[in-house]
Amino acid sequence: MTKIKKVFRTIAGDRQLLFGCLGLMILLLVILFQGVLETHDPYEYGSDSLVGLGVNGHLLGTNKLGQDIFSMLIAGVSTSLKVALISSMISAIIGILIGGAAGFLGGKVDLVLSELINVFMMIPTFFLELMIIALFGNSIVNVMIVIGLTSWASNAKLMRAQALSLRERTFVKSAVVMGESQPQILFNYIIPNGIFPVIANTTMGMSGAILTEASLSFLGLGDVNVISWGQMIYDGKSYITSAWWIATFAGLAIIFTVIIFYMLGDGLNHALNPKHVSGGKK
Amino acid sequence: MMEERKQAMKKYVIRRILSGILTIFIVFTLTFILIKSAPGDPIRTLLGQDNDDPVLQAALEEKWGLNKSLPEQYLAYLSNAVQGDLGTSIIYERSVNDMIGEKVGATVLLGLTSAILALIIGTTMGIIAARHEGSAYDLVTSGATYTMNSVPSFWLGLMLIILFSTKLGWLPSYGMTTARKNFEGWAYVADVMRHMVLPVMTLTLVTIPQYFRTAKSAVLQVMNEDFITTLRATGMDEKKIFYKYVFRNAILPTITIFGITMAYLITGVSLIEVVFSWPGMGRLVLTAITQRDYPTLQGIYLVMSVSIAVVMILVDIIYAIFDPRIRYD
Repeated sequence: MTKIKKVFRTIAGDRQLLFGCLGLMILLLVILFQGVLETHDPYEYGSDSLVGLGVNGHLLGTNKLGQDIFSMLIAGVSTSLKVALISSMISAIIGILIGGAAGFLGGKVDLVLSELINVFMMIPTFFLELMIIALFGNSIVNVMIVIGLTSWASNAKLMRAQALSLRERTFVKSAVVMGESQPQILFNYIIPNGIFPVIANTTMGMSGAILTEASLSFLGLGDVNVISWGQMIYDGKSYITSAWWIATFAGLAIIFTVIIFYMLGDGLNHALNPKHVSGGKK
Repeated sequence: MMEERKQAMKKYVIRRILSGILTIFIVFTLTFILIKSAPGDPIRTLLGQDNDDPVLQAALEEKWGLNKSLPEQYLAYLSNAVQGDLGTSIIYERSVNDMIGEKVGATVLLGLTSAILALIIGTTMGIIAARHEGSAYDLVTSGATYTMNSVPSFWLGLMLIILFSTKLGWLPSYGMTTARKNFEGWAYVADVMRHMVLPVMTLTLVTIPQYFRTAKSAVLQVMNEDFITTLRATGMDEKKIFYKYVFRNAILPTITIFGITMAYLITGVSLIEVVFSWPGMGRLVLTAITQRDYPTLQGIYLVMSVSIAVVMILVDIIYAIFDPRIRYD
């Protein structure tokens, strides 16, 4: 009980964390009540082609195919959140395993893994993502996997630093003396105790994933079978002089969602990292 | 002591360069494996849908060296690339070097102009915000840069087109020069500059937050250090403390950020080039993707990786020279 109270107090005490949590709640509510909020079927083509705001019950107008922009925006929430969640999970798991192993095992393993981390920090990842999607097909699943596979390096770097310092702590050393196996120590002591900066960084990375998915879609490499905000901007680019609403509102939705994850990430960083000096103020 | 530092420095520089070479080698190998394992056959694309003449196919495969074993193809490509030859475009039958060479200037023009503008504007804004922490100026600029950090660059570009081209009609939104005008001399320069305004504005706006954040937190950090407090206690003029001590110490982190943002810009420029139909590398990438022109794609990616590695290594070395506290490991 006191633990829950403490969590609430932490959230209420940090402006960014508070706004981030509220924003996330709004997004989740939108997904939950998607069917109620959507005024039209977002996938359905209609006869109202490129009509403006408020015409024929289309709150934010329609696109060339007569799809309702407002309903498409609502449907885009779950796409964005799905991409953010799954790709950052992949990136977190790879980062934690590689960084944890490098820092904890040390020696030659660390040398090789650290170099691998450095290499992936230097590679221009957006083009790698672009190329893989172009070569292997642009399904939304591919997009999520590719973003995850190319963005783990910063997580690994953080986890490695954590593992390096945890390795010297008494409770880890005593576990070594007690004869616990290396994987046991890694999974029972190093990772649970060093995971907090990675959690904050992963949350931050979710905004990056949303922006990357949007960028890929904007280049025409998105999944055409799924409604996504990036796809809407790509679609609206051709009508930017005649039907500005197609691209404009989708962009605003992206900004809103990305800010929420930035605030959550920043806030978690303050809350989970006691060494952080700025103390929640921005 | 001095000699020891020089030795350590030399070792550090060599290590960074070696790690850069390794990165480029891995990028090279990775792209080769990816392209070779991808579904879809470029020869089939060349032949067209209904043509399955085996003789023609074999001839084309031999022409492009695709009939050799994979290790042979890899080694041939590697040895050419080391000598600076990126191969030939399958679609245009032109040297990839030439194709990139024609486009790289336009891309660098956009990227470098934006990088320098963002560095100057963002850093200045950040330093002022730190000096007046908590003021209205600080709150507004911090909020604005925080938001700008979440804005997709290509969307911002479209919005600027709506505002400055469609509604106000002040600036061109398409291409690098006005078609059919054939300006020469200064008129040409002015024409290109007019076309540059919107894409450069877009890129600068989305890059400013990085510099703003870095400069602001660096200045705040230095101002909180003990030696500044000591200087204040001696009664030294606040302005003098700032320009002589704080500024110099706070400017270092921005150098690092310059390298990282350059890397982002190199890829970010491509998206903006698509928005503004700018005749640079970004458009080359897009056409290469849609036409499955693998040699061109691979060549562009290699050139990008090399330039990013070079910028990052240079930045690391400059940082090491200026910051005596750096550890060489």
